[in-house]
Amino acid sequence: MAMKYLDKYPRSTAKTLWVLKPLWSTIKLFSKTVVRRPVTIQYPYEKEWLPDNYRGRPGLRFDMCVGCGVCARACPTGCIKMIEVPDDDGKMVMRPEIFLGRCAFCGYCAEFCPTNAMTVTPEYELAEFYKKNLFWGPRRLNFEDTTPEMEVHYEVTLQSDIDAGNPERRVHVFDVDNPVVKEDACIGCRKCEKVCPVGAVTMIEKGLNERGKPKLVPVFDHDKCICCEQCVIDCPKSCIHIEEAL
Amino acid sequence: MALKDWINYADYSDLQNFAYYPYETHNIVYEIGYNLYQVLGGLIAWIIDVLFPNNGLSTWLMSGPVVNLFAIVNLALIIFLVIFTGVLVSLWQERKTLGRFMDRRGTQIGMKGFLQCVADGFKTFMKENTTPKKVDKMGYTWTLSLVIGTSVLVACMLPLSDRFYIVDYDAGFLIVMAIYALAPLFILVSGWAQNNKYTLIGGMRAAQSMISYEIPMLITVCAVAILAGTFNIGGVVAAQNETMWYVIPMALGFIVFFTASCAEAERTPFDLAESESELVEGWQTEYAGMKWGLIMLGDYLRGFASCAMVSLLFLGGWNIAPFVSAEANAFLPELVQLLKGWFVFFLMIWVRASLPRVRIDQILNLGWKVLTPLAIINLGIAVVLKTGGFF
Repeated sequence: MAMKYLDKYPRSTAKTLWVLKPLWSTIKLFSKTVVRRPVTIQYPYEKEWLPDNYRGRPGLRFDMCVGCGVCARACPTGCIKMIEVPDDDGKMVMRPEIFLGRCAFCGYCAEFCPTNAMTVTPEYELAEFYKKNLFWGPRRLNFEDTTPEMEVHYEVTLQSDIDAGNPERRVHVFDVDNPVVKEDACIGCRKCEKVCPVGAVTMIEKGLNERGKPKLVPVFDHDKCICCEQCVIDCPKSCIHIEEAL
Repeated sequence: MALKDWINYADYSDLQNFAYYPYETHNIVYEIGYNLYQVLGGLIAWIIDVLFPNNGLSTWLMSGPVVNLFAIVNLALIIFLVIFTGVLVSLWQERKTLGRFMDRRGTQIGMKGFLQCVADGFKTFMKENTTPKKVDKMGYTWTLSLVIGTSVLVACMLPLSDRFYIVDYDAGFLIVMAIYALAPLFILVSGWAQNNKYTLIGGMRAAQSMISYEIPMLITVCAVAILAGTFNIGGVVAAQNETMWYVIPMALGFIVFFTASCAEAERTPFDLAESESELVEGWQTEYAGMKWGLIMLGDYLRGFASCAMVSLLFLGGWNIAPFVSAEANAFLPELVQLLKGWFVFFLMIWVRASLPRVRIDQILNLGWKVLTPLAIINLGIAVVLKTGGFF
């Protein structure tokens, strides 16, 4: 036998007065909003206050960029492409170009940028009439009022660091990682020296190869290295890898 | 000095017996309409007289009965315009106040949102005026006119002050209530004529709820009439000014009348007739364009009339308060009455913002089993107060 509605909620005159409860709560809100204006923000006319590290469109400081391509590899939507552009001296350099139609505004490019050239900016009104206008070149990505707060630092504390007695946070995870070359496999092609954006690779003669001729192997300057993995990617023999210094 | 004095025609209006012909007391609206016709009609008559000297038309235009006729036309126009503006203000008030109740801004189109009603009017006016094929044309069109017409009539028949009225009649509230009670019949016929199940259900609900809430309303009006000793609207207001606002001895009656008038005006806790979530638009579903706009205007006119009635019956009408001097009370009594009406409308908006819609059985239970007995108890209180010599 199903329970009747009136059995579950018996009619009572006193309970009828509960209509006063919503009346009370609404008049409370009304008296509040009359004094302190509604929360609505009139968007095109007034805008919300934004913090400096608001994740709007990415911004690029052209001169600080070394063209390592970490941003292009970190981008989850694949909207960053490295293109060749002339720098201030007319020399052709690699710089990122961003397709904002696909950008997810995650800020990973700024987070992973080894030189902090890529920043986030509080700019979010980016509508264009044509799709082609959404390709933002390296010069256009410049944001005039870039402040240090717009840099995104990927600060982490690793469990292995804590175990090793080093509980300080790493400002950049990859700062202490190093490229390491397997000298037996290296053919001394100088590719790593050419692609290194910061010039941390020098080729030195070391030992002899199987034909008995002197052999060139790369040596990495750990102070200059930003661990961008360009050499790892471009090595024809895949003999360079990154050793995590955990 | 009017233009016609300058034209030097005879003034026939002095031939009437009453000082305030055709009214017995001073009617400011008639006076304004009369003077307006003196200026505009006198100008026309003067121009015609300049062009064609000694013609009969100018003399006829400024003769007593014609002046009286056009003065009354002006009176009707002025009263309707004032009430219409009051209703537009209450529309704006509802939008803004509901916004504040919901922590948002409400409408913002021009003049702090007041021009939103103009925009709405233009929008409904621009819409295609369609009529469904299978409706009963006569019932569809005539009931619409009658619903809107009775709404306008009832809103305009309530005076704004003792000098701002159309007619001063002793059966005041009874006639207002009688016209008010005509609408359910038209709504029922309209819902039936539209050949649509939603409109039929909506029309039946409207008729049910309106008929059941008519009775506590009328009993409460009777209680007020017993206290005041008259049904005359001016008499009720004057009696309240002599003693006290009737909301104090008859708070019960105030609550009953307020709830019933919410239901009569089909406002939200009782808007079963046009419950958008169940019936498409209730009994107004098949009305398109400006017809629907006029129905909405009629709805708000009924709400405005309800608020004005609450103000007149319980809140002292156009007098500020009983203890205020007569000179202060004489300062713009029309505005005082409008402000009190808007205050009651604010209460209605508050109820609308707070409470959800009730079911049809709940609304009928509330009407017949709660409000009607309470109204009768209130009538008993009124009788006791009157026979006990308190009033």
